[in-house]
Amino acid sequence: MFAVVLIPNFSLQAVLRHEPELIARAVALTDPELSKLGIIQLTAKARSEGVWEGMTASQAMARCSDLVIKSRSPAQEHAATEVLIQTTYTFSPFIESTSPGVCTMDLRGLRIVEDETSAREWAEEICKALAQFYLDGRIGFAVTPELALLGANYRRATTSSAPAFIVSKPVEFVSGLPIEILGLPAETLETLNRWGIGTAGALLGLGKDQLAQRLGPAAIEVFDRLSGSSIRPLKLAALPEIFAEQMEFENEIETLEPLLFVLKRFTEQLSRRIGLLYLVVAELHLKLGLTSGATYEAVFKVPSPTGNAEILFRMLHTHLENVRTDAPVSSLWLAAKPGWPEAHQFGLFETTLRNPNQFAETLARLEALCGPDRVGTPILKPTLRPDSFRMKPPEFCRSSGLKKAAKVKAARFRRCGLQLRRFRPPVAARVEFRERFPALIRSAVCNGPIVDRRGPFFSSGNWWDDGRWAREEWDVQTADGAMYRIFRTREKPDQNGSERRHRGNETDLTEAQSQVKSASLPRRLQCFVEGVYD
Amino acid sequence: MGNIIQLRQLLAEKFPGLRTRAEDLEQCRGTFQPTGLPQLDELLQGGLAKGGLTEIVSPQQSGGGTFLMCSIFRQAAQEGQLSAFVEGSDSLDVTQFEEEILSRLLWVRCRTAAEALKAADLILRDTNLPLVLLDLAGNSAAQFRDITATNWYRLQRLVEQTSTICVVLTPRAMIAPAEARISLNSRFSLEALERDAEQLLSELKLEISSERSRIVGFA
Repeated sequence: MFAVVLIPNFSLQAVLRHEPELIARAVALTDPELSKLGIIQLTAKARSEGVWEGMTASQAMARCSDLVIKSRSPAQEHAATEVLIQTTYTFSPFIESTSPGVCTMDLRGLRIVEDETSAREWAEEICKALAQFYLDGRIGFAVTPELALLGANYRRATTSSAPAFIVSKPVEFVSGLPIEILGLPAETLETLNRWGIGTAGALLGLGKDQLAQRLGPAAIEVFDRLSGSSIRPLKLAALPEIFAEQMEFENEIETLEPLLFVLKRFTEQLSRRIGLLYLVVAELHLKLGLTSGATYEAVFKVPSPTGNAEILFRMLHTHLENVRTDAPVSSLWLAAKPGWPEAHQFGLFETTLRNPNQFAETLARLEALCGPDRVGTPILKPTLRPDSFRMKPPEFCRSSGLKKAAKVKAARFRRCGLQLRRFRPPVAARVEFRERFPALIRSAVCNGPIVDRRGPFFSSGNWWDDGRWAREEWDVQTADGAMYRIFRTREKPDQNGSERRHRGNETDLTEAQSQVKSASLPRRLQCFVEGVYD
Repeated sequence: MGNIIQLRQLLAEKFPGLRTRAEDLEQCRGTFQPTGLPQLDELLQGGLAKGGLTEIVSPQQSGGGTFLMCSIFRQAAQEGQLSAFVEGSDSLDVTQFEEEILSRLLWVRCRTAAEALKAADLILRDTNLPLVLLDLAGNSAAQFRDITATNWYRLQRLVEQTSTICVVLTPRAMIAPAEARISLNSRFSLEALERDAEQLLSELKLEISSERSRIVGFA
């Protein structure tokens, strides 16, 4: 037993899928690729207004002033074909993408073949699943794929509201089947009409050899289809791993709102498509085609894979709020990578994020506010050069991202003294030294006599490459009680890597002094205030 | 009197969840989280208020305000808590922390006090992080002119709907709706730079200068 799911007016339905509000209105579809530009498909409302296939757009507009003319989109047809495959795959693993808008299913092993009622219920479920994606389907059941397709076409041609047609008695069905449903070329149909043949049964009555003699080899294929004598094997379709939606805009898009409108539809469709497979969205890939020919691409890894279209849309929205392109947007492509929903077994005392997706959105907003290099978790560089760190995105929802706090407990408060508040960059200062000790300081942050000091502390590093550095540090206290860290160096202070640092005792001092000398200090050292102890 | 009742009813209809009586406020409060720093917990009668703003006022430089903030953060990280440290002047010296501590930190390096306040607003709305530290001690007086009292009330409204702890370090008292205000009056000499951190904590001169509607209760 086979079932064929047929999407009538497939090209039109593919275009209207992202504008479902137009389905009930008068809409006609044209194909820009055709030499003679005429209407190829139209909605029921347009037909009721007197518009027909083959009319030019202006003729159709004369009949129906409210008519919306749309252009055929191969990209959207491709996406709609994928939707059809994915939807039918959830009902049977043996599916064939027979042609655009036609999907054949092998029903072996399914119980629905046993009685008609369950087959009809099953067909309604398929139609309900397709309706989620704004696709209207017709389904035919028969013992061969060809007869099932004819059954689906027959249901389409009739005005019955039931979506399914079951070919339970193939001979009787074929004998009464109008030849218009067979999909024959117009010339052949005309010839058959002249012969007085109006049904498939009458056509079969002519005999295979007679038909081949009069109508050529193509008639043999029609004869075999109708007779149901053999069952052709299906070319099984594989389920696509990436789910994508795309649209080429008729008018260029210059503002965010229309783009967001389409993106909202896309995220809803993609999460539904992936939801059919009991999966969720793990990653989104956005591609904007610009009128200049360039493309803008962005990949969004969903921190906690979800099927919630609203969350996915917010991720895109937050990102796009801060995107400026050089040219207007002409096309949009959004793909979703499916993944499994996350399942955690948290420890009793483990803390983690309540809503990782919300947190990711907040991070994006913070980055937009402060800058991308100003938000994150600091990572210390393997160096002793002061203030050497880099920022990385927080990994609070991954257990690997959080280092064991127990290690820290052992080393609790191993550091001494007050916390340094750094000036970034360090503030230039003029320091007067008396008997090799700093005695007076003038700078933008502190001025006056130095009442107490500690030092000097020498440090140096990278003497083996071009990034060598050397500095002489002092901790000083001014008359108002504030304590600062000042330093002298020959380089312009920056925040790059370093290797060595010496503090304190006499031996270190001597060694460090020699290092500083070997690093060839300049004739005039520059002083800076590095920060204030607080 | 009748007008006030009508106004309350009108506000309750327009803004569901809005508190219009002081009694409603009391119900929301009352849980504290111990900081693990005995001096501070004792002073605050239990710890930092969940769902409330705590202001630490450090009027003089080298008074230990940053040291206290970092101690609170360090202690929270040791307990496995995630924290956000929002700065108005990008001055935190992260090299003084261990990697294990830093892995639990969301560091937001703002350039101005107003930017820091916006960042804190975003983090508090997020409600994912239980501890938010806002450091405005390094910002100039000119920057505080742009921050009005309503900014702080808005922040307080955000915090009180959550169980987040929000600690703000300021150079002068400025947060009227703060649950508690701690003033720092410590003075240190250069010798303090060599002293053990725990010893320094005990030497901090802390004083509660304002305390709003605290109800005894522990988290």
